[in-house]
Amino acid sequence: MTHPLVLVVDDDPDILDAICDILEVEQYRVARARNGLEALERVEEERPAVILLDLMMPVMDGVTFARALHERPAVKDVPILVISADGNPARAASVGARGYLAKPFDIDTLLGHVGALSADGAGGSSHAGA
Amino acid sequence: MDGADSGDGSNRAGFLGFVAHEVRNPLSTALWSAELLSRMSAEQRSGSRGERLSAMCLRSIARVRQLVEDHFLCERLDAGGILLRFEPIPLREVIETILARPGDRGPIDVRVDTSLAVNADRTLVERALDALVAVASADKAAVRIEAGEASGGRIALTVAGHAPAPGALEDPTKGSPSDARGRSLALPLARRIAAALGGALAASEAGYVLSLPEAEGYIARPKPAAHP
Repeated sequence: MTHPLVLVVDDDPDILDAICDILEVEQYRVARARNGLEALERVEEERPAVILLDLMMPVMDGVTFARALHERPAVKDVPILVISADGNPARAASVGARGYLAKPFDIDTLLGHVGALSADGAGGSSHAGA
Repeated sequence: MDGADSGDGSNRAGFLGFVAHEVRNPLSTALWSAELLSRMSAEQRSGSRGERLSAMCLRSIARVRQLVEDHFLCERLDAGGILLRFEPIPLREVIETILARPGDRGPIDVRVDTSLAVNADRTLVERALDALVAVASADKAAVRIEAGEASGGRIALTVAGHAPAPGALEDPTKGSPSDARGRSLALPLARRIAAALGGALAASEAGYVLSLPEAEGYIARPKPAAHP
């Protein structure tokens, strides 16, 4: 059985390490990117089941990445779960994300959202946090 | 980008939002690493993953501490809640005090004459200079510190190294967001300290320039001779 691949996009190296650690313990495969530009390269190479996306990043921010993703037919349906410290769920909705988690969120909450999105690639939404 | 220090004071909501963003990231990794450690057995905690998570937890808490300290001082300066003690401060002495502290820095070249002194509060001068050295030494960039007399009875201290990002003084999100050392409030703090001391902070391609009132008539004391 192939475990779902999750692409984690965040400019903070500790956030990347911690989330990848959390997911790997649960048998997910993970790919990582430090900004939106790196994420665009990774997403076309590997077509992840879910993208965990920070919004405030250098080089290319999360909003720009999401817009660019939605213009690429091969990957435009990959669900995005925004993981942000900006406390503004409206920004996640505005980029077509399927869910929003405000840092710091609980580990089990993250796993619940990733599990739901990777199991069901279409429909529904998943919002939590303030 | 040149000079003008309009600062972030006109956008208080934006500044507080930035502070919240910067604190939430290391707070997240502190909480997650602590929770992951609590889910591990004692044997697992002593392994490489346990050591890595422990290091992450400590690093994250240190980062939060730095951000909280810097933010508290920013707020107290904004509120005028700090009693300042002005005295002649030899710049070279302050610089040596800061460089004697441990830090994750590259090489630092100091070209400051021992006769230069500012009339300022020592604690705040140290905090401002520490902040500027931290920003200039990002990615372990080589740093050069120079000082000289400027117009208006001021001393201009230039800290050059990692180049200032355009707009970094006006908008903290363009400074050093997500700084792994917790120094993303360094520029807002240094700007506030400069203003509180009757000086100014500017940035250009040459580096950060902190201008402070000169201590008139300051005479450097000779260092005591070593015993034979």
